[in-house]
Amino acid sequence: MVRLADLPEYEREHLLAKNLPPLGPLPWHTTTKALSAMRFALITTAGLHFRGEPTFNFADPTFRPIAIDRNADELIMSHSSANFDRSGFSEDVNLVFPIDRFQELVADNTIGSLAEFHYSFMGAGLMPEVYARSAAQVAGLLKQDLVDAVFLTPV
Amino acid sequence: MCALSYYLEAAGILTTGISLVRENAESMQPPRSLWVPFALGRPLGKPNDTAFQHRVIDAALSLLAAPAGPVLEDFAEEAPSTPVEDAPACPVSFANPNSNAETWTARLNAEHIQLQPWYELGKRRRKGRSLVGASSSTLTEIMNRLGGLLDRDTLPTDDLKGFKLAIEDAKTFYLEALTAQPGDYSAQKIEQILWQQTQLGAGLKRFYDRFSAIPKLAIMARLIASRQAIGGATGDEIEIKSLPSKED
Repeated sequence: MVRLADLPEYEREHLLAKNLPPLGPLPWHTTTKALSAMRFALITTAGLHFRGEPTFNFADPTFRPIAIDRNADELIMSHSSANFDRSGFSEDVNLVFPIDRFQELVADNTIGSLAEFHYSFMGAGLMPEVYARSAAQVAGLLKQDLVDAVFLTPV
Repeated sequence: MCALSYYLEAAGILTTGISLVRENAESMQPPRSLWVPFALGRPLGKPNDTAFQHRVIDAALSLLAAPAGPVLEDFAEEAPSTPVEDAPACPVSFANPNSNAETWTARLNAEHIQLQPWYELGKRRRKGRSLVGASSSTLTEIMNRLGGLLDRDTLPTDDLKGFKLAIEDAKTFYLEALTAQPGDYSAQKIEQILWQQTQLGAGLKRFYDRFSAIPKLAIMARLIASRQAIGGATGDEIEIKSLPSKED
């Protein structure tokens, strides 16, 4: 469990060091679309990519696109941190990148559709503002793909 | 993740998602965030539990209906877990004659050979899925490389990224071999076996110590072993300082 009170002091101190102030005025976007009409993309900071694609560096604000028509079971991970469990992701890609769950939500009309491309970052070793440029690039790509909303997963 | 939420929402895209450390989300205030009481590395809670994963996703999607933000809500359920005593037993005994070999290269290669069939079994159980392959090397090449470095008592200072990818492939190979049988595993127990019982764990601990002793490379040590593997020295935490070593 990631309840700080349950963790050893060294772990608690490390995680609390990541408590940073907001990056600026708090953004809040709204839409009149119903959930069942929204187009979603998944974004993870787990450092995922397909085997043979460029791996992430130790501290790396770049991102990797994940095409919807690729087999997500073939995703691997090159996250630099040694401080999280990887055995669960070995068992099930959806634990980190819930693409099958979102396909099911499309099938039962809970959400409208899924983007053609989803995206993976590697969240480690950098201050948040370093991601501004690549986030802007992804925002542009998402808009080209007519994405309304993003579901984000850390690791 | 909070930073991406901030920038995407500011660009006009609705965002919602998972937070694994509530205090971080409280501080950075992403627009919509569902805190979940799950282990790091498991944002959806439990592998292969479709119903549970859907409940987590539904809770995060419900935040999109909030009239104003930022919104930080807590997911009410713990991840389903199996008591450690009910988890499948480790299929491998590491107390084998090859562990008495004189060189790290021989010991690591012997361990690799011992684990290979279990890795293949695990891969078959996962329908061909494996995370091994971030590096461009085979496991044999990786074991020879790690063993050679350890036998020469040197560090791979000319290729730290390649070294990191190689050790992650090796650790992943071991974790996937140790979980060859079907069942719900304790991630902590598997990590304990890796660090406390295997030659790979002992070798990585040696690399950790060597990197830690060089100030400009000390950060590399932290990329080899988890804080829990190194920092915890009591109770159920992993105490890799107590690992037996052929050279001690």
